Amino acid sequence: MDGVFYNRFERHAHGEGLKGQSTHYCAGCGHGLVHKYLADAIDELGVQDRTIAISPVGCAVFMYYYLDVGNSQAAHGRAPAVALGHKMANPESIVICYQGDGDLASIGLAEIIQATQMGIPMSIIFVNNAIYGMTGGQMAPTTLMEQQTTTTPTGRDRLTGEPMRMAETIGQLSGPVYVERVALYDNKQRVRAQKAIKKALRVQVENRGLGFVEVLSECPTHLHMSPSDAEQWVKQEMVPIFPLGVKKDVDTEPWFNLDEPNFEPDDIVTVIGSSTESSAKGTEPFPSHIDAEDISLKFAGAGGDGAQTIAMLTTRTAINAGYDSTHIPSYGPESRGGTSYADVHIATTEVLSPASLKPHVLVAFNPQSLEKFGPTVRDGGVVLYDSTVIAEPPQMDPGIKTYGIPFTQIAVDLGKAMVKNTVALGATVAATKIFPVERFVNTMEDALKNKCALLPINREAFNRGIEAVEALDKTR
Amino acid sequence: MVTTKTDKKARPKPFLFPQFCKACGRCIEACPKDCIHVGTQIDPNSGLTPVVVELDKCNGCGLCIDACPEPYGLMPVEGEIEDMSLMDPAQIFGPRQTSAPKPEPIPGTLVPLPDLEPMVLKGTHAAAVGAILAGCRHVFGYPITPSTEGAELMAKLLPQLDGVFVQAVSEVATVNIMYGCGGAGLRCATFTSSPGFSLMLEGISYMIGAELPGVFFNIMRGGPGLGNIGPEQSDISLVCRGLGHGNTHAVVLAPSTPQEMLDLTIAAFDISFEYRNPVVIAADGYLGQMTGRVELPKTLTKPGIPQWAVYGDRAHRGNLITSIYIIEADLEIHNEKILAKYDRMIENEQRANCFRCDDAEWLVIACNTPARMAKGAVQELRDQGIKAGLFRPITLWPFPIKQLTPLLDRARGLIVVEAGPGQLEDEVRLALSHADIRNAPPFSHVRRYGGVLPQQQEIVDKVTALVEA
Repeated sequence: MDGVFYNRFERHAHGEGLKGQSTHYCAGCGHGLVHKYLADAIDELGVQDRTIAISPVGCAVFMYYYLDVGNSQAAHGRAPAVALGHKMANPESIVICYQGDGDLASIGLAEIIQATQMGIPMSIIFVNNAIYGMTGGQMAPTTLMEQQTTTTPTGRDRLTGEPMRMAETIGQLSGPVYVERVALYDNKQRVRAQKAIKKALRVQVENRGLGFVEVLSECPTHLHMSPSDAEQWVKQEMVPIFPLGVKKDVDTEPWFNLDEPNFEPDDIVTVIGSSTESSAKGTEPFPSHIDAEDISLKFAGAGGDGAQTIAMLTTRTAINAGYDSTHIPSYGPESRGGTSYADVHIATTEVLSPASLKPHVLVAFNPQSLEKFGPTVRDGGVVLYDSTVIAEPPQMDPGIKTYGIPFTQIAVDLGKAMVKNTVALGATVAATKIFPVERFVNTMEDALKNKCALLPINREAFNRGIEAVEALDKTR
Repeated sequence: MVTTKTDKKARPKPFLFPQFCKACGRCIEACPKDCIHVGTQIDPNSGLTPVVVELDKCNGCGLCIDACPEPYGLMPVEGEIEDMSLMDPAQIFGPRQTSAPKPEPIPGTLVPLPDLEPMVLKGTHAAAVGAILAGCRHVFGYPITPSTEGAELMAKLLPQLDGVFVQAVSEVATVNIMYGCGGAGLRCATFTSSPGFSLMLEGISYMIGAELPGVFFNIMRGGPGLGNIGPEQSDISLVCRGLGHGNTHAVVLAPSTPQEMLDLTIAAFDISFEYRNPVVIAADGYLGQMTGRVELPKTLTKPGIPQWAVYGDRAHRGNLITSIYIIEADLEIHNEKILAKYDRMIENEQRANCFRCDDAEWLVIACNTPARMAKGAVQELRDQGIKAGLFRPITLWPFPIKQLTPLLDRARGLIVVEAGPGQLEDEVRLALSHADIRNAPPFSHVRRYGGVLPQQQEIVDKVTALVEA
C-alpha cells in the first residue's frame, strides 16, 4: 500500500511482531491522530517526496518510524533550528517541525520564537498535552494550575508560574501568517484539526509563510485517566485556559524564493575581491638598510587615530612589493590604557614572530604611546610622533632618529583632521625610505578605489607628510 | 483495496485488524450509528482487548477512521470485507518499508580557477574565503569577538553568490541549524569563539552521533568564563577530549598563518564529508585578527549531494538523520562504527610541520600563533649554534605522533610552548602514552595565560637555560 505511512515500521524495534504496523504510542494518545492528519495533508498536497519531518525529543521522538518522508531527528527543543537548516539548504523542501510542550514551550523557547518570527515558510505542529510524557509525567510549561504532576506533587502553584499560552504568544508575532489552536476530543474538533494542519502545510507549499498549529492533545497515561476521561479533561479543563480558534490568519502573496547557490568561478573571484590582474606588482629591493631580513614597525595611538589603517596599508604595500608581511591589531596587556596599536612585520621570506616588541620604527599619535613604546625602539631605529599633541617629547636614546611632525595640524590645515594618519604614513615613508613612494600611492589608490572622492585629499596629506620630513632633514 | 485516507465519495466502511487496536475507544464515541463497542475478548497477539466493529448500520461516514490514532488501526476498505480478513497482513502491507528509490549520491566537481593574485587577508577573512572556495554557501552564527569578522564577511559575500547567512538566536540554535543544513548534505560552517563554542557542544555531540558534516571555527579567546578577547589556546582539551557528551571526537586543525586559515578550511570541508563528522578549526584570537599574504588555490569545489542526505527530494526520501538508537545492541553497533571511523582518522589524518627538526636536540612543540614565536626562537637559537627545532602539530586530534616519534631519539628535551595552562602538553603526553613511548625526553614548557602570548625571547631563554643546565 502506497501512502505517507511506511508500509512497515521497520525502524520500530526492527518491525518485529506487531511493531511493524503499530505505533509506540499509548492507547488514547493524541500523537497518532496528529500523525495521521499530517500524512493526509502531505498526501493531498502531493508533497511527500519533498517533505522533511523533524522529530522532536518527547514522545514523538520516533515520528520517523512512521512517516514515509525525509526524516531528521532533532535535539530537545532544537527542532525549529534544525528545520530552518533544512529549509535554507533546500528551499523546495517542505519542512514540518513537530514538537511537544516541553520541547517547544520550555527548553526550545528561543528557537521557536526566532523561527516563527523569521517567518520563513515552514509548518510547526505543536502538540500540547499539559504534561511531560516521555520522561514520565513531570510538569510542563503548559501544565494547568493545581494540576498534579510528578514534579508538582501537590499541584502546580503560584511559585511555578502560570501555564504558557503559546498559540497566543506566537500569534502576536509579526512573523507567522497562520496560527490556530485546535483539539482532538470530538469529531468536530478533529475535523478542525485536520483542516488546520492542512492549512499550515499549504501556506508553506504555496511559499506564503509559516503556519503554526497548537493541538490540545490527550495523555491518558500521565493524567491517570481513561482515554475517554482524558478527552473530557481536555475539553473541560484545558480549553478554558487554552481557547481554541484562529489566532492569526494573514492573507499574503507567495514571497519565499531563494536562487540556487552560485559556483561560477568568475563570479566567485569578483565576490571575494581577488583578481587575475597583476596590479603594478613586482619586486622591490628589500629595505635592508633597516634590517637584513625582518623589519618591525609599530603604529600607536588612541582608537580613531587611524593607526590600524596605515599599518594595513604598509602591510599591503610590502606584500605588493614581493615580501611577506603581517599586521596585527593591539592585543595583550600592553593594550591597556586606551592605546590602540598595530604591529607590522615585513620579512624577506617569512614573518616569524608577528608582534613588534622591539620595533625598528615607531609612529606615535599621542604622548602615552610615545612614552610607552619609545623606549622599546631598537638602536638605530626611527621614531615619528605627532608634535601637535606632544609638545615635550621624552628624551630618546641618541641612536634613534626622531621626527616631531604636526600630523594633526597639517591635516587640519588641509580641512580634514581624520587624514592625520595619512600624513603620518607619508612621513614614515620619507623618514624610513622603506619602499618607494609610488608603491604606497598604488596601494592607497587600490584601497580607495571605491571611495574615489577621498583619494585627492589623502594623496595631498601623504605628500605633506613627506615634505615635512624632508624639511626637517634639511635642518639637520 | 486498502487506502490510508478516507475517500468521502466512495464512503468506504472501516475494517480493523484486531491486533493493531489498542482499545482506546475514541472510535466508539466517534460513531454516530453506535456500530463499535468495547470488546470482551483479549487478542492473543497484542494482549489487549480490541473494540468490536459491527457494520450492519454503518453508512461509511468515516468518523471512526478519523478518530483512530493508529495508522493501521481502523482503515477504510471498499468491497467485501470478509475477503480482507482472510488475507495475510504481510501481503497487504507489502514487502518493503517504502516505495522510495534507493538513494544515489549526486557527485560534486572540482572547477578550475584562473591564476589569481595573492590576497592580503586577516585570518578570519582568509577562512571565509576558503569556505567559499570549498563550496560552502551556508553559514550560521552568533556574534562573538574575536571571530565575528568571519561571519560579517560571510553575511556580506554569501548573498552575492545566492548563499545564505543566518544570524541565529544563539550558539545553541546555530549548531542545530547546522545539523539541519549538514543533514541536507550541504557544506555549512560557523565562526565562534570559546564561550560560544562551549554552547555548541551539545549540538556537536548530536552531529557526531547522527554522522553529520560541518566546519566549526573556534577562534579561541581568554577564559575561563567571559575571560577576555585576547588569544588563548585553552580550548585544546575541549576540542580534543570534550566535544559534548558521549563517544565524541573530531579532527581538529590548528592553523598558524592566514594562509593556513584558508588552506586548512578547504581541507576541513573535505575531511568533514569524507568521514561524515564535524571538523574543528582551532585558531587563536591573534591569528583571527592577523593580516597576511594568502595565495589562492587552483580549483574550487562545486559540491554535490551525498547519498545519505535528507535533502527533501524523491531520491533521498528514504533517508533518516538521527542520533537515537533506543536498543542497546544497536547503539553498541553504532558506537563501534564511530570508533572505526576515529581509527581511520587517526591512521590517515595526522598532520604536522617540522622546522629544522632533522638534527634537533631541543624540540620546541607549539601550534597556532605561538608556533610563529617558536619558529623565530628556533631560528635565533640556531644562530647561536644551539640545535633547536620546531615541531608544529597541524592536527591537534589526532595528534601527529607518527611525525613526532622519529624525532625523539635525538631530542634531549621537549619544550611545549602554549598560550594556555598545559593542554597542548597534555595532548603530547597522551599521544606518547598511547604509542607506548616510555623513554621520551624530559618535558619543559613556556606557558602564558589570559590573552598573553609566549614571546620569542621567553622561548629562547628557556631553551638556553636548558642547554646550560
